[in-house]
Amino acid sequence: MEGLFFNVNGGYIEGIVRGYRNTLLTGQNYNNLTQCETIDDVKLQLSPAYGDFLASLPPNPSTSSLANKTTDKLVAEFRYLQAQAVGSIAKFMEYLTYGYMIDNVALLITGTLHERDTRELLERCHPLGWFETMPVLCVATNIEELYNSVLIETPLAPYFKGSLSHQDLDELNIEIIRNTLYKNYLEDFYKFVTENPELKGTPTSEVMAEVLEFEADRRAINITLNSFGTELSKQDRKKLYPDFGGLYPEGILMLSRADDLEGVALAVSGNYDYKSYFEQVGMSGGTSGVGNMARWWS
Amino acid sequence: MSGAGDREAVFPTRQSLGLMKNKLKGAETGHSLLKRKSEALTKRFREITRRIDEAKRKMGRVMQIAAFSLAEVTYAVGGDIGYQIQESAKQARFRVRTKQENVSGVFLPQFESYTTEGNNDFGLTGLGKGGQQVQRCRETYARAVETLVELASLQTAFVILDEVIKVVNRRVNAIEHVIIPRTENTIKYINSELDELDREEFYRLKKVKNNKQRDNDAKELEAASKRRGSDKENTADDPGATDILGEREDQDVIF
Repeated sequence: MEGLFFNVNGGYIEGIVRGYRNTLLTGQNYNNLTQCETIDDVKLQLSPAYGDFLASLPPNPSTSSLANKTTDKLVAEFRYLQAQAVGSIAKFMEYLTYGYMIDNVALLITGTLHERDTRELLERCHPLGWFETMPVLCVATNIEELYNSVLIETPLAPYFKGSLSHQDLDELNIEIIRNTLYKNYLEDFYKFVTENPELKGTPTSEVMAEVLEFEADRRAINITLNSFGTELSKQDRKKLYPDFGGLYPEGILMLSRADDLEGVALAVSGNYDYKSYFEQVGMSGGTSGVGNMARWWS
Repeated sequence: MSGAGDREAVFPTRQSLGLMKNKLKGAETGHSLLKRKSEALTKRFREITRRIDEAKRKMGRVMQIAAFSLAEVTYAVGGDIGYQIQESAKQARFRVRTKQENVSGVFLPQFESYTTEGNNDFGLTGLGKGGQQVQRCRETYARAVETLVELASLQTAFVILDEVIKVVNRRVNAIEHVIIPRTENTIKYINSELDELDREEFYRLKKVKNNKQRDNDAKELEAASKRRGSDKENTADDPGATDILGEREDQDVIF
């Protein structure tokens, strides 16, 4: 029954997405890319998928302009899907952009903190994280104004509410703010896919819940690994872990107490998949182990 | 060829001859010293050139690794973190100090790099993802900058030494090809002038002596002929004979 009316709302978008999926780079493409010696070769290899967007590039473009053009394609296609989406799917796609918004807002907060001209920062923002009121952020000149009158208007306002005050914006490290926001965002997203009446009990909910749980675990483990050797205290670290996921709650508690790689390995040993990852890379040991591990999770 | 060569404008006297001889000696000592200095500097210069070559190759390798680790960061963090890093860095962690090294009288600046420990302004960057890569990238770039600093100190030394060697070589050549020949010429000139004067003097004396001799001879001849005449008269009347010991003025003898 659940698939009976699927095409009413989602049929067209699904068709588009399947079309996009066909243009994704395949293993063969990646093999070819590793053989490339110049950036023009790379451009040539990418041209079946990205031809329209790369056509305007001059020969021998810089890597950053190449990356920008490929990002443009992603943004354009995403925007098209977003425009076609209705109902809960539209909301879902909005949720996807919040992650980028958090990055952009963090960037703007950093700029405001250091009293830079925030206008020039707008160009550096990720286009997927663009929201209508974002240019308004540039109006704020101090952090209090930013918090009280501007951030409230953004879609991210609920994530600020309750966990960050405007003093925090001033004092805390921007990375902690970013991760707090991200934690709140993940929790909200999780709540959305599991509790929204339109999505509850659908395959979307099942798949996305799993994805988000993995993302939450990944972040928790990553934050733990990356916080070794920094001034981040264990209490602060605990606040950054999302309150759900495959490791929650015992694994998260153990992670918050972990001091080193072994502690992390012990914390994740409850989950079979993660345990085997750690056994594959972590046993090579030493500091390189941490780096490898971090790469695994990235 | 004393007068033909390039020489200094001096009066050919014994005093200036002494001065010139001193000058020649000084020039020769200076020449040998400068020559040795130039050789020492050239040796050093070659060594520095070799080390620059090594440092440049090393820089190439290190920069390659560093650029790759930056690409890793971009991939792991998933975006440009340049701005964040710029804003969160407050104090220089990697610092450079200079000191001087003395190579045969030339001061070469040397840059020495050191890191301030425990100064990690962006330790939390990439906390969510890619933090390890950020730290590793920082380390590789610190190594790259170290190589650059080393290269910079070598390059500065290279430029300065080049300049100094040129100056020293110019001096050596000037002394060798201008000052020494000129001084030698001057000495030759003075010597020849002095010889000339000697010869003139000798000739003059000879002439004077000759003239004297001639005068004396003439006088004696005259006196002898007079005596012969008076002898004849004396035989007639003796009282006309001159009294040699009498009151009569003698002619001065001039040499």
